[in-house]
Amino acid sequence: MQETSISTANLEQCLKCNLCTLVCPMLAVNEQYPGPKKAGPDGERYRIKDPEYYDYALKYCLNCKRCEVACPSGVKIGDMIQTARIKYGSQSKVRSLHGLRDWTLASTDFVGGIAATPIAPVANGVLKTGVAKAVLHGTLGVDKHRTFPAYSSRQFETWFRKEAQAAQSGFEKTVSFFHGCYANYNYPQLGKDFVKVVNAAGYGVKLLEKEKCCGIALMSNGFAAKAARQGRINLESIRKAEGPVLTVSSSCTHMMREEYPEVLGLPNEDVKDRIMLLTRWLYPKLQSGEIKLNFRKDFRLKVAYHTACHMQRMGWQQFTIEILRMIPGLELTVLEPNCCGIAGTFGFKKENYGYSQAIGETLFAEIRDAKAQADPSVPFAVVTECETCKWQIEMSTGIQVINPVSILAQALEDR
Amino acid sequence: MIIENTNKEYDVIIIGGGITGAATARDCALRGLKTLLVERGDLCDGASGRNHGLLHSGARYAVTDPEGARECISENKILRRIASSCIDPTGGLFITLPEDSLEYQAKFIQACLDCGIEAEAISPEEALRLEPAVNPALIGAVKVPDASVDPFRLVDANILDAVRHGADLIKFREVTGLIKEDGCVKGVKLGDSEIRSKQVVIAAGIWSARLAEMGGAQISMMPSKGSLLIFGHRLTRMVINRCRKPGNADILVPGDVVSVLGTTSDKVPFEDCEDMKATGDEVSVLLQEGIHLVPALSTTRIIRAYAGVRPLVVADSSASGRNVSRGIVLLDHEKRDGVKGLITITGGKLTTCRLMAEMATDLVCEKLGLKIPCTTALKQLPGSHKRKGGKDPVHKRAAVGRHGSEADMMDFSGKGAGEIICECEQVTRAEIEYAVKNLGVRTISDLRRHTRVGMGTCQGSFCISRVAKVLAEVLGTPEKAQELVDGYLQERWKGMTPVLWGDTLREAEYMHKVHRK
Amino acid sequence: MKYDVIIIGGGLAGCTAASELSAAGLKVALFSEGLSLHDATVGPASPKAQMHSPYAALSALAAKGVTVFRGDSIIGACLSEDGTSVKMVSSRNLGSEPLEAGAYLLATGKFFSRGIMSNMEKVFEPVFDADVEFEPDHEKWFDPDFFAPQPYEKFGVKTDAEGHVIKGGKSISNLFAAGQVMAGGPMSESEIEASGKAAAGKILKKQ
Repeated sequence: MQETSISTANLEQCLKCNLCTLVCPMLAVNEQYPGPKKAGPDGERYRIKDPEYYDYALKYCLNCKRCEVACPSGVKIGDMIQTARIKYGSQSKVRSLHGLRDWTLASTDFVGGIAATPIAPVANGVLKTGVAKAVLHGTLGVDKHRTFPAYSSRQFETWFRKEAQAAQSGFEKTVSFFHGCYANYNYPQLGKDFVKVVNAAGYGVKLLEKEKCCGIALMSNGFAAKAARQGRINLESIRKAEGPVLTVSSSCTHMMREEYPEVLGLPNEDVKDRIMLLTRWLYPKLQSGEIKLNFRKDFRLKVAYHTACHMQRMGWQQFTIEILRMIPGLELTVLEPNCCGIAGTFGFKKENYGYSQAIGETLFAEIRDAKAQADPSVPFAVVTECETCKWQIEMSTGIQVINPVSILAQALEDR
Repeated sequence: MIIENTNKEYDVIIIGGGITGAATARDCALRGLKTLLVERGDLCDGASGRNHGLLHSGARYAVTDPEGARECISENKILRRIASSCIDPTGGLFITLPEDSLEYQAKFIQACLDCGIEAEAISPEEALRLEPAVNPALIGAVKVPDASVDPFRLVDANILDAVRHGADLIKFREVTGLIKEDGCVKGVKLGDSEIRSKQVVIAAGIWSARLAEMGGAQISMMPSKGSLLIFGHRLTRMVINRCRKPGNADILVPGDVVSVLGTTSDKVPFEDCEDMKATGDEVSVLLQEGIHLVPALSTTRIIRAYAGVRPLVVADSSASGRNVSRGIVLLDHEKRDGVKGLITITGGKLTTCRLMAEMATDLVCEKLGLKIPCTTALKQLPGSHKRKGGKDPVHKRAAVGRHGSEADMMDFSGKGAGEIICECEQVTRAEIEYAVKNLGVRTISDLRRHTRVGMGTCQGSFCISRVAKVLAEVLGTPEKAQELVDGYLQERWKGMTPVLWGDTLREAEYMHKVHRK
Repeated sequence: MKYDVIIIGGGLAGCTAASELSAAGLKVALFSEGLSLHDATVGPASPKAQMHSPYAALSALAAKGVTVFRGDSIIGACLSEDGTSVKMVSSRNLGSEPLEAGAYLLATGKFFSRGIMSNMEKVFEPVFDADVEFEPDHEKWFDPDFFAPQPYEKFGVKTDAEGHVIKGGKSISNLFAAGQVMAGGPMSESEIEASGKAAAGKILKKQ
């Protein structure tokens, strides 16, 4: 009795030491944000008493979970803030222009389903024009500096069914693939790279019976109920799936493993351990010799590894780092784990652009430094598992950002 | 006005700044009497600040003490009206567990109804829906109009109203004797100085016996210690009671942002009353009983343990103190002991404080030959007036939650006035300034009673130096900040040590590392 | 994952030892579950006065080649059958991944950082369930004077003369302890650093 508290999100264990306050990237640039301690455990005691104490400044939380990484007491501060936003913040409505914008940014499946079709080149072209940007900035409030990630004219799923699915039956062992929205609608090459690596490892790939967006964008934009509906569909598909369910995006993975149960109230204990990033799955198998990969001899690349916030929260960066170190011809620097500032859709909103860039500056400077110090004759890239970090870093530094799965695919010998 | 000393002669001097004294001072002032209240320490420093903070519906006493129960329900309704800002109308639930009897529950409901207390039986399923944290093994539940009341705010509101109606207040000065002339009490002695009055009312809780003795009257009182535990946050929305004959640890009250579990009941010697401290054994008893009520208490952090003394007036020689009547005791020492000019009002409950004050003031008026009707049940207390609509800024909300309309007297306009000084309890500089100005605060412990500074989860570990700096500045003695911190930490330590394990021990290590040189 | 040394705890003791060991050419991994008491109290208790990077020490170690696991904690250990050596440990984030090392250093601090924990009845060490020195009588855990030295501050894991952690009365040959997690104290900052250095020395001698 009285060994430790088990209250929701470990509220009780907060000792008010303020270490979370010190590491919060938002608090460092935005005085309107109360900071993780006040927004989390301090505010929570009052919100339990009366929801009237809810503070709308909680909208500034990036949900980067850096507070949770720093907390010596295991308090799930970020989850607490997310939950409060869902429970007490007004649920977003599409009625206003900003509501429409939030809905558009959050509804990756809907928008991707329309744009990632043969109309993609037109859509991409239009979205890139100054006129379109000015209109989006002025009406919807999507910041003019941002470019919507380009949509692919053929979705990954379409490609897979037509070009790759048949060959998968030739493998005895199978993994399931949760590709995520980015690989499906924006950059199918990442999905193709995944198939290449997994096949090279001797495993076939199966898609889930039904895959929906993990819902992270919906959740952070105030559409929690819809996020939960999609989560239920995903978990159902995962339960039916064969083998481990591998992923390429750190945020989707974190969402399905941690936030489904903690924030959306979707129990996932039975399948949680099966949901993981490709590198998390691959590393022990490479280490034990169960899987052998043949790498090209002529591969040359200098990379700086950026630990995305949710990757850091899951604590899996070391699996990726160790695998990257196995690639001959790859030179690796590990960057300080600083936040890039984009936080999914947060940085796309014009009211947040300034905060977003101010937060990312430390990271951008380190990346520019790393490139400046690198041998100019070797190609240089940043590696990270998060697609929104990729957009942010590419926009802010002009340096290419690659998913480690694509690096692996490029470094593999073609069979 | 808060004063240090005076030559004025009063109609009435009230001794004791707890809820009984405060309410009596208010009543006397509202009836136009020249009133002085003398308190040896800070307001609400005795039993008034060391209880559950439960606004009884009377249900708890319906079976054993119907008269007390009727008083409770009638006063409960009045206080909800006049002191709405001090009361959180949570409602109460009496749960019957398998080891209790449903027969008792039936008897309990009937007794409540007989006393005019609404009591509605609900199914265990409905009870769990309302209060998911209660023991799921329950076999019955009854809803009653219990509520949570903030005793600190209730005392403050009575004092503020008394002072605003012309009463004077002397704090931090102890009554060392009574002025007696020809067998008649004519005022009080505060060390070297004397203050004269026509009547003296003793409202000093357990210390009333000693004061009465100074006037030559005997009251046989029995100090009954009650220990309580404070848990870090609200676990339930309603007050949870056990539906059985009153016993140990069978009430859990959601008070402000914490949960309060109590109490024990043990006879203690008078000399222990000055320094009450919950013991480890009492903590064990409270926890063991408490988890039958709400099982999550076994894993919820206890912030501190504390104890108060019930001023029970002895009629028989019951050992536990639980069978002694907790009714209101009004003693006319002229009639009873031949000591003119002296009245004692004691016993009773927090819930019946207004009625006690009315009874005492009626007697004062009778002695003074006055016939002035009591209006305390009709007039709202400071803080409970209707406020203008609209949402308050975030930094003001906690102050409004505590002080109601009085928060509008706080000056949030100055630079840094809205800055949160105590983060757990969201106390701003403006609130601190208000408390110092209106309630005569000297130390951080005083400030705590009037604002909740340092009452939160960290017990001051993080913010207390900042609080001390602000308080010392407001008091005009910036050099005393460290002294304020040290005194406060020692006082907090007393309540932390009986529960020094788990997260509270972790907090202690942090506190020691930060604050011990 | 295999390392020469796995250090549990990223406070002053753990960081000092990690720095020494990696300078001596060993492959070191350090697990830091949240920031330490030192990080929380290095400045006055005011958020603005503390605006330094609390990660400075961990970042410096990472730059020296130490593998730093921020926000991860060792939650399980597997001992040899006779209980005298650690075979491997596991962490919350890395899950089933076995973490093996030649030597392990317990530098988890006392109560704040949950290096040792307590409930109503007892004080214990959560990772290895090592033997802990403490007063069985709760009344003797504290001094009623807040400012006096507190008995609870002396509680901690038992170690032998060579600095090995003791469990079930037996020394664990490849598990060392450093800093406040050890019985005794409280230590000053320089004493904690010295303790980290001493533990690193013992580990190096053993290698």
